[in-house]
Amino acid sequence: MTETPDSGLTRATAKLPIAAVIVALLGIADAVYLTVHHYTAEPVPCGAAFDCEMVLTSPYAEIAGLPLAAFGAAAYFIAFSLALLAAFGDRRMWKLFGVQVTLMACFTGWLIYLQAAVIGAFCQFCLISAAATTTLFVIYLVSIFSKPKVTV
Amino acid sequence: MKNIPEKKSNTPMLIIGAVLVIALLGGWYMFSSAKSVSNSNTAKANNGNTANPAKTPGIPANAPQGATPPNQSGSATAMVTLEEFADFQCPQCAAMHPIMNEIKSTYGSRIKFIYRDFPLDIPAHDKSYEASVAAEAAGMQNKFWDMQNMLFTNQKAWTTDNAGYKATWKDYAQKIGLDIPKWENDMAGIAAKSRVDEDKKRGKAIGVNSTPTLYINNVEVPFAQLNVAGLRQIIDAELAKAAPQSQPAPAANTNK
Repeated sequence: MTETPDSGLTRATAKLPIAAVIVALLGIADAVYLTVHHYTAEPVPCGAAFDCEMVLTSPYAEIAGLPLAAFGAAAYFIAFSLALLAAFGDRRMWKLFGVQVTLMACFTGWLIYLQAAVIGAFCQFCLISAAATTTLFVIYLVSIFSKPKVTV
Repeated sequence: MKNIPEKKSNTPMLIIGAVLVIALLGGWYMFSSAKSVSNSNTAKANNGNTANPAKTPGIPANAPQGATPPNQSGSATAMVTLEEFADFQCPQCAAMHPIMNEIKSTYGSRIKFIYRDFPLDIPAHDKSYEASVAAEAAGMQNKFWDMQNMLFTNQKAWTTDNAGYKATWKDYAQKIGLDIPKWENDMAGIAAKSRVDEDKKRGKAIGVNSTPTLYINNVEVPFAQLNVAGLRQIIDAELAKAAPQSQPAPAANTNK
């Protein structure tokens, strides 16, 4: 089996951290935007099928007085950093990345439940974030479950 | 197993640092841009206005509209709109009721008054949602304001009367001349409940979390100013702002 020295990734999956880096950057951008919105209280552009204000002004939009989006931005930044270090060959960082995105995926599931069942409205920026987290989680799962290629 | 030589490089840390700086600067830029637009709008809005009631940035334009048409009195084309979010079991709302009546009679067609149902989800207000529905059902016979008046002025009579509050409301309904079977039917129907839900959705979306909450021209009035003098100060300033410079709007008529 051909393996990069420290990442624990086969050649077939060695590019996954790079994909994760890109997705995490999108997540950071989305979360930073929502954090700024929280402090400026400017309305966000919201599609007809969504009710962004309902979601973004709900009691669940804050934790301990801080916007949830700020925690999201921090989480994406950590995921980005770990994925980047893994992309440069640090195996331990990819494992930590796995732990991080698993926690993020669980939290995202709870947020989707809140929007669907408690608040009764969706915000597309929150769904973009959910999609980014899910993608990061799927990337990690692929890296675990993909079968090693034949050794060169 | 063939190992690729380990790269000892500062590149990842440099990239991480760069992304952190870009994210912080980008956030700061967005925040500053939004703030400068907001400041310029506020400056336009406050041009010539000495009474600044602003406690919040105002109701976002894309907030849910609430029940349509709203329960509205005064002139539909008035330059000053008062929008109150209230709960029929809230004592402060009952105290606010005569204040709003005085404001309405003082300013007449120079203001538009909108009442929004905002029954709070608290155990002590167990009949509040139902009371809102009762008022909306009366509104379906064009008697919303009569029922609203009955519910607020007699709040103490029914709010803790768990056994007889419905009979009391029915008595009010008869006094204001409602078609009782239709009123009861409308109370059970979905239309009146939907109006309450729509109003509540609007309130929640714009951050209402207590009652009474009053907005004048989309700007929340501080709680300390929820009295006749405080409201008149804001309304007069808004009327003056709306009037042409050469013809300042007359102040409120205090002769009753």
